[in-house]
Amino acid sequence: MAEQLLDQARDIFEGQIDFEGQKLVELLVNISLTLVGAIAFLVGYFLQDIKLAVYIGLAGTAATFLLVVPPWPIYNKNPVKWLPVAGVASPANIVIDETMLR
Amino acid sequence: MYSSLVRLQNTFGFFTTVAFCVALLISASDFLSDRAPTVNVLKTTQLQVVKGRADYYSSKKEEYAIIKFTLDADLSSLFTWNTKQVFAYVTAEWPSAQNNNATNQAVIWDTIITAPSSDHLGNFSPSKLKRLRKSAAGKGIDPSRGKLQIKNQRLKYPLTHPTGKLALTEDVQLKLHYNVQPWVGFLSWDQNQDWGKWKALKNGLSRKFTLPAIKTKEQAKKKTTTGGTRA
Amino acid sequence: MLSSLGNPRQAAAQLMNFGLILSTAFMMWKGLSVISDSPSPIVVVLSGSMEPAFQRGDLLLLWNRNLFTETSVGEIVVYNVKDKDIPIVHRIISKFGTGPTAKLLTKGDNNDSDDTKLYTPGQNYLVREDIIGSVVGYMPFVGYVTIMLSEHPWMKTVMLGIMGLVVVLQRE
Repeated sequence: MAEQLLDQARDIFEGQIDFEGQKLVELLVNISLTLVGAIAFLVGYFLQDIKLAVYIGLAGTAATFLLVVPPWPIYNKNPVKWLPVAGVASPANIVIDETMLR
Repeated sequence: MYSSLVRLQNTFGFFTTVAFCVALLISASDFLSDRAPTVNVLKTTQLQVVKGRADYYSSKKEEYAIIKFTLDADLSSLFTWNTKQVFAYVTAEWPSAQNNNATNQAVIWDTIITAPSSDHLGNFSPSKLKRLRKSAAGKGIDPSRGKLQIKNQRLKYPLTHPTGKLALTEDVQLKLHYNVQPWVGFLSWDQNQDWGKWKALKNGLSRKFTLPAIKTKEQAKKKTTTGGTRA
Repeated sequence: MLSSLGNPRQAAAQLMNFGLILSTAFMMWKGLSVISDSPSPIVVVLSGSMEPAFQRGDLLLLWNRNLFTETSVGEIVVYNVKDKDIPIVHRIISKFGTGPTAKLLTKGDNNDSDDTKLYTPGQNYLVREDIIGSVVGYMPFVGYVTIMLSEHPWMKTVMLGIMGLVVVLQRE
């Protein structure tokens, strides 16, 4: 029972996403943070207000974190399709494979 | 990028890189703004040398100078969005008697001019803070603060010399300096030469003067009581 | 975490990686130290005596070479007082003489009086040798983590707790 609960907690904590999602997240992080930095600098420079620049930068960064850290469903649209196990293998074999994968 | 933790770490890592680049750009933007500080008047209005304790806590009696000066300067062009404060100070400078190379330099008065973005950090009284806030009126920069108009200013720090002798010192000059403290980047001081868009501080020196002979005790007392400045 | 112990090659690689990070940081620190000729080229501000210019936790970049001019009045310097460990960041307010024996007096912008009382008894002035660098660069806030960790020991416990939780919740 405790083991199951821990497993559930691990699932939530881990927040895994699929390969396509990982690619998308990488792109999103790079684009959004660069954009936030550029906007913060330009707005600050032209309005000559450094506080505003800091606030824009921090708010934009917080938004980026919110966008990419949780495993939003959008990042899990392309689950990996495993091939069926080839041939008729004995159950014992599968168990060994699994431990090896771990 | 597989798990939340890795995404958190990677995003934070890239954030530090971006923040560092933006900081670098901000500090570089200083060089794009014009700096043309000017001094209209810097002159002494009172000179006096007295023998006694220069400060209430100093243990020995020595000669110290009482100087009053008038200053009219415009440092408002030093304020940009990256200026945190300007530290303006007036020094007295004179060559050493024994050795011409050795110089003496002492700050006699200074003032901290905060930018509106750093008003809350200063060690100000509530009424002064209120006045500063009002003068900025929500703007990022308040050029009016850079204008220094000071008349008959008494010195803030007693002017003394390690030898204890100051009377009849020749070729003393007052000089206005400033130090610009940025929010991020490099500190800068007043320059003797133009440097790109940053112009040198011209006219920042007073006329050379000679400190007077020591006032006798009676004279000094009389002077200070009439002036009402030093007990 | 534990399974890497079963794989010596992986464990060794991790150890190497960790060592590489440490030695790179050390090399950069020492390199900067050589370039700036200062034993401690980057310092964290620990006191509020230079406010509002420097707050606690700000990072200062120091330079200790006199390439064109001597260290002079108006510069903000970091100095060590004999027999005291903590370096102090204050501004030079007077300088009498030139060269290594020039007498220097310092004061914090936010303090009412000069530093004579901070020096060792009987010492009225600093000399150039006492100074470990002049402040040339400034970066706000970045050093605050070190202050938090050294002044609030419970933060260390919290950090250890978070790290433990991460280990428990992480799958291999």
